[in-house]
Amino acid sequence: MKKSGSESLKSINLRPFVESIIAILVGFIIGAIVLLAFGYNPWSAYYWLFQGALGSTYGIASTLKYATPIMLTALTFAIGTRTGIFNIGAEGSFYFGAIAAVIFTNIWDNMLFGLAMGMLLGALWALPAAVLKVYRGVHEVISTIMLNWIGWFFVLWLIVGPYANPNDPNKTIRIPVDARLPIIGYGLSIAIVIAVIAAVLTYFLLWHTTMGFGMRASGINQKAARYAGMNPKMAVMWSFLIGGLLSGLGGAMKIMGEGPGYAISQGGANIYGFGFDGIGVALVGRNHPLGIILSAIFFGMLRAGTALMQAQAHVPLEIIKVIQGIIVITVAIPSLYDLVKKAIHRGAA
Amino acid sequence: MKKWLSLFLIGLMALSVVASGCISPGGEESTKGAIAIVYDVGGRGDLSFNDMAYLGASKAAEDFNLDLVELQSNSEDDYVKNLETLAAQKKYLVIIAVGFMMTDAVKQVADEYPDQKFAIIDGYIPDKDNVMSILFKENEGSALAGALAGLIAANDGKDKVGIVLGMEIPVLYKFEAGYRFGVKWAEDYYKQKEGKDVTIDVLYQYTGSFGDAAKGKAAARAQLAQGAWVIYQVAGGTGLGVFDAVGEVLDSQGKKMGPPFAIGVDSAQDWIKPGVIIASMMKRVDVGVYTAVKDAVEGNFKGGIVELGLKEGGVGLSTVDDVMAMFDSLPEDTQKQKLKDLGFNSRDELKQYLEDTRKQVPDWVWDAVKELQGKITTGVIKVPAPMDKDGIVEVRNAKTWQEMMELAK
Repeated sequence: MKKSGSESLKSINLRPFVESIIAILVGFIIGAIVLLAFGYNPWSAYYWLFQGALGSTYGIASTLKYATPIMLTALTFAIGTRTGIFNIGAEGSFYFGAIAAVIFTNIWDNMLFGLAMGMLLGALWALPAAVLKVYRGVHEVISTIMLNWIGWFFVLWLIVGPYANPNDPNKTIRIPVDARLPIIGYGLSIAIVIAVIAAVLTYFLLWHTTMGFGMRASGINQKAARYAGMNPKMAVMWSFLIGGLLSGLGGAMKIMGEGPGYAISQGGANIYGFGFDGIGVALVGRNHPLGIILSAIFFGMLRAGTALMQAQAHVPLEIIKVIQGIIVITVAIPSLYDLVKKAIHRGAA
Repeated sequence: MKKWLSLFLIGLMALSVVASGCISPGGEESTKGAIAIVYDVGGRGDLSFNDMAYLGASKAAEDFNLDLVELQSNSEDDYVKNLETLAAQKKYLVIIAVGFMMTDAVKQVADEYPDQKFAIIDGYIPDKDNVMSILFKENEGSALAGALAGLIAANDGKDKVGIVLGMEIPVLYKFEAGYRFGVKWAEDYYKQKEGKDVTIDVLYQYTGSFGDAAKGKAAARAQLAQGAWVIYQVAGGTGLGVFDAVGEVLDSQGKKMGPPFAIGVDSAQDWIKPGVIIASMMKRVDVGVYTAVKDAVEGNFKGGIVELGLKEGGVGLSTVDDVMAMFDSLPEDTQKQKLKDLGFNSRDELKQYLEDTRKQVPDWVWDAVKELQGKITTGVIKVPAPMDKDGIVEVRNAKTWQEMMELAK
């Protein structure tokens, strides 16, 4: 490894930030070329994208609303990466956070209780993968993918079975009014504030506590960490559990904080995919909690701008998704490059 | 460092391009106004709801010289955002939401923008001045399906017909009740015509799903084994399995055309399995959308429920022309592929085949169905439309269509 240990443990490093900004610009340029090739006006398309995402109070609220769940699932992935594991179990924990909120707020209509149970079930769902990894060496990519599917079908059964809404077969029962998250305005709940606080706390944990130092150290070199008297096994364990807790919180807040339904819809349509999107957000945010806040908002902008881009620039949704895909891939390239480089180094070590 | 500098300059250029775009966004030419339509996550290309909604909207835009803005939803989370973004622009005569899944979203946004007119297809929002809920009298269309099924069975000396449904939700009771009504009416008609008493049982099953073709197939197989002669499917994707099951029975008997037959639902589905599907009960979403726009343009827009039945052309039994119109609206290469899959050389061959299929049923049956249609249209006959469990049980227990008609009052 080129960098010395102390250097790579340093938290403030502007280079990744500049790289990301440049990557974003390059992504937009390639996107513009594609738009031109399909016969759409890229200026007008991008103008309305930004207008839709940032041009009004409602647009900004909408951007932040989309940013909230992916901010939390991105933190799950980032904590994993920092401790040297490739945790893609955010998806499963997210489902359990969401269904836990539905189940437990209908037992006791208390907001904090709902959030706590969401976090608890999210963390519990991460536990099997953690135990398998630590005590049996099962690779976390395999175990988390499989657990995601198990969780998906189990939650799907809960959605269409015991917790289906008899008056509205399209949804589960709703979160009781008293347990819903307070709304700041324009449909945006305090979930975004909680998510940002979670990101800051994660940053604090990783860079300003002994435990976080141990986690990052075992992520960089397990053997060295053990030699230095740390416990890499516990570090991995905590990384899974905290990751699951954050995604569980994300799932709970998705349902408790977003109207008008305040329920999981048929087929789990409104809780699916946030864990995977979180991986992209984490890569763009360079696996840094503070970078993730910014990159989640960037992803939120791309989502929120689509309505005006369709209505005003007349770009069909399919093309918009292509452009977004191009931008996201371009933006993720520097981080992917780092990740692959690290993996190769570790393999060689 | 040089590399970074050049990259940065490229970035700066891109930014200036974007920025200059901000100063002069694309101009818009205006016609007489604009309408907007928001699709659910299914989107265009579903050969059903959304495509039919587009047909209605584009026809209305042309007839009234309006701009048409279409918005597709990426996920359910987009419903509120899409509706709200359009409403905030304050330039649409009416915003049309396609599909009952948007009900909650329309309710919310309609409250925030009381001056904006909305219409929702298939959603039930009875109490807002600015929301027109367009519903369909599925019971009336299903009565025609029931009459057709019952008469085919009676004509062939059979005593059972079937219906395979999706989830047990109130709107499906309307289908079931209408079908039962039609079958009972057919019994009576046949008795008057031939002077023979017939009793036709309706086998029914709620499969609990709209997307599981295997379940639909199993349900239809069970009904066929019990002697069902015609099966009406009211189960979306699950219902596609009904077509398969009926098709297999025909194959095993070496027949190319029924009976036994299946009856399709929602759009003109006859072309999906020519020979197997005798007709379809169409829900004319295009008529619904067109009606909403027309009312908004002509100043007749009223909030509340608008129910479209046989009289308004909102429901109906498909004709061969309806089927071919649906087929012609497909992209050309899809048409070619479809013809190839079905084993036809040309569009006309398909049309001929559909006409031949209908000839398996005697003309007097088709005339009888038309007669019932006329009586419902003129209001002489009323079809029950139960919206809850008690209501459907009453219909199931009724012995004659006259008894059922009492329930409709």
